[in-house]
Amino acid sequence: MKNIEQVCKKIFKLARGVQCEVMAEKRDSSLTRFADNVISQNVASSALNFSVRLLDGGRSAKMSFNQADDATLKHAVASGLEILKKQKKDPALLPLAKPRPIAPGKNMFDRETAELSPSFRAGKAAELARACGKTGQIACGTVDNGASELVIANNLGLFVRHRDSSVTHSVTVKDHDGSGWAEKTSHDVKNIDFARLNETARAKAAASRKPRDPKPGKYTVVLEPQAVADVLSYMNAYSFGGQFYNEGRSFVCGKLGKQVLSPLLTLEDDAWGAAPGMPFDFEGQPRTKVTLVERGVLKAIVHDRKTARKAGTASTGHALPQPSYFGPLAINLAVKPGKDSLQDLIKGTERGILVTQFHYTNLLKAQTMEITGMTRNGTFMIENGKVAYPIKNMRFTQSMVEAFANIEAVGSEAEFLQGWGYISCPPMRLSGFNFSSATKF
Amino acid sequence: MFKLASKAIEVANKHKVDFGDIRVVEERNQTVAVKNGEISALTDQTTLGYGIRVLYKGAWGFASGRDMTERAVADTALRAIAIAKASRLLMRGRVRLAHEPAYQDFWQTPFLKDPFAVPVQTKLDMLFALDKTLRADKRIKVSESEMNFMREHQWHMTTEGSRIEQVLLNSGGCVTATAVLNGESQLRGYPCSHGGQFLAGGWEIIEAMDLPAHADRVRDEAIALLKAPVCPAGVKDLIISGNQMALQIHESVGHASELDRVLGYEESYAGSSFATTEKLGKFRYGSEIVNLVADATLPGGLATAGYDDDAVKAQRWHIVKDGILSGYMTNREFCGRIGKDRSWGSCRADGYSNIPITRICNLSLMPHKGTTEELVAGIKDGVMMENNTSWSIDQRRLNFQFGCEIGWEIKNGKKGRILKNPRYQGITPEFWGSCDAIAGPQEWRLWGVANCGKGQPGQRAMMCHGSSPARFRKVKIGVHG
Repeated sequence: MKNIEQVCKKIFKLARGVQCEVMAEKRDSSLTRFADNVISQNVASSALNFSVRLLDGGRSAKMSFNQADDATLKHAVASGLEILKKQKKDPALLPLAKPRPIAPGKNMFDRETAELSPSFRAGKAAELARACGKTGQIACGTVDNGASELVIANNLGLFVRHRDSSVTHSVTVKDHDGSGWAEKTSHDVKNIDFARLNETARAKAAASRKPRDPKPGKYTVVLEPQAVADVLSYMNAYSFGGQFYNEGRSFVCGKLGKQVLSPLLTLEDDAWGAAPGMPFDFEGQPRTKVTLVERGVLKAIVHDRKTARKAGTASTGHALPQPSYFGPLAINLAVKPGKDSLQDLIKGTERGILVTQFHYTNLLKAQTMEITGMTRNGTFMIENGKVAYPIKNMRFTQSMVEAFANIEAVGSEAEFLQGWGYISCPPMRLSGFNFSSATKF
Repeated sequence: MFKLASKAIEVANKHKVDFGDIRVVEERNQTVAVKNGEISALTDQTTLGYGIRVLYKGAWGFASGRDMTERAVADTALRAIAIAKASRLLMRGRVRLAHEPAYQDFWQTPFLKDPFAVPVQTKLDMLFALDKTLRADKRIKVSESEMNFMREHQWHMTTEGSRIEQVLLNSGGCVTATAVLNGESQLRGYPCSHGGQFLAGGWEIIEAMDLPAHADRVRDEAIALLKAPVCPAGVKDLIISGNQMALQIHESVGHASELDRVLGYEESYAGSSFATTEKLGKFRYGSEIVNLVADATLPGGLATAGYDDDAVKAQRWHIVKDGILSGYMTNREFCGRIGKDRSWGSCRADGYSNIPITRICNLSLMPHKGTTEELVAGIKDGVMMENNTSWSIDQRRLNFQFGCEIGWEIKNGKKGRILKNPRYQGITPEFWGSCDAIAGPQEWRLWGVANCGKGQPGQRAMMCHGSSPARFRKVKIGVHG
């Protein structure tokens, strides 16, 4: 970190006379990947990347590099200054942000997690693969861990930093024509129950053998947390960001303050909440807690400084690295849990489909949040409140505005998941969910 | 750079590895973009580092670094060996690589004009002029014009004696306009959206696109789509044109034919493939006129190079020949599983920090005969669709759904009014089996895919897909939620 500070100082000295922002990210990551009950990839990487943004009265340039020797710094800044010199002024360009007080974030760093060894990861893969091998199942998945440090500084006196560690155990088990999946991520390896995840995926794979052919159509669905998180992440990204809102492309346009979604849905973005993260955004501005949806009423959208200015409001602290193609984004989402367990959600379903996970989801139409995708790794028919039998996978084509207006129940057990950022998400039961076709497995 | 790289080979040999290699990679990536009258991106990125791969007693290890000293290279090589030793904890048999001769060679992408030598202001002037044209109508709420240039300089050394230097250069760009009115938005792009069209080459790629000649049309078609009828649902005949055919090839043949995926090694992430190895040489993938050729030697191809990242010399081969599954995308590790003693050479890594994995090569649908007009004339009730907007396919590459920017109704052999939100669904072999016409070589062109994601950790790769417009019978069209 000291080294990064020194590099920032050198860059500021070279960029004297213009505004200068440095974003430095140090990332050490390791991943052990297994498939067919053997380790197939075992990799480690160390990276340190710098991005330097230069601004001068409506002119801008951004140079990125991963070598921090004096010659590279000098060349990068000189190239940026040269671009500034020849550029016409852009009156809409914002100057750099001034420093603002940042409340401390939650501790998200654990040294043991950051430094897990290759043999630890291989050992965890082996535990699963050996158990699967004994029962004719096939283990696939990853164990990965690492740490990252982010610094954002500018020559107006802004200097913020955040570090975190992470570990993820992701398991896919094949059992003849059945498959199951389980995954957990955390900043602390002590929160990962490897054996439980392995057992969940193995049991689901066994239960999903000999799937029957389903008939496409509208069904009540019980979506497990990962399935909810997948489609909700799309809705967040393309609906609740200030840029999409300002451009009239979000379904939220003209509907703020209105009851559009189910009263059972409350959605917040909170860097200190159930899906915590760094307490500042990529402009170095403090993140604020934003309630996006309260009991189905659309309450707010998130902003960076640019979209806030266009909307005549203040940044909520949700900037991505600037300049941002995507605009601001909420990355610490949490759905307020309900009262029912997953079993209760199933029990309350007369006839419906239980979905473990979605695959290859994609947005079709932003104004209705119409999305398509496939079910994956365990899809089951529910009859009379019980999981009746496994079914082959189906494609859904569904407006998520309509789907989240049709929530029948929200589960009580939220999972901490990775999406476009982090998301804490419980299971849900939704009615009238449209499956447009089936596949052959 | 080879002097620095040789330190890794020295360490690998000292530890008696089965195989070892180092790729030193220097990349430069420039993006210049204008959106709604403002500069939305003006970035210049350079990275330099190395990735070291070792096969130690039959198990893989990989580590990468950015410290360009001999000591750091040696330490990274030792780290890769330590990781390989850990991999030995869970192995069935020793990994063995297919033989490939050792090469000492230099190869570079042919180009006419270095895009990095073109002044940034020249690029900005062009983009601002395009942006002005796109925004000439107030119903265009989002106008985007952009250019991207990528150069990768790599030095690859193996313990087998290969010493390969390559310089790969790609250029791309596009204009897109999004019209918004009364809660409806419609996107139109040229040559296509999703970041635009990319090909291997220099500034001449941008000049050849002639973006200014198309900006008016892009704007007007986006606006016209607002009031166009929605593509009707039903089973109809379909003509695919523009870059949509590239996506169709990419998703339903390209990924399905990656041998690592076929063997189950991508199961935990992107899934596997229905095109399993017992089907090789027998399985009817498409109709008899369907020929899909992988080609790492294709001029202008984004996956074109002298050698892949397994140090295998570039080749050309059939994936589907006369409708029959005939080959796979391979690396040196897995090609033996289909009885081949040499890889077809389709193993690549994203930058310096990733391990090489099996990737889609340039993969093209070979032209057949006739013109698009003749394809249209043979349809009583159908739709022509152009340029991709959305894509989704199941985890075995069977059930797919695609959405396109624009459709045209076809009635009684005539192309008529435009249709918005055109979409279609299908099952891969049934769909390719319904292909009864492919236009001739005069309409064949190459499309770039610049953002293909695969692997864990995620890696990006680039490749091209060439095609002429093609006709498919009895397709499920106009699927809406």
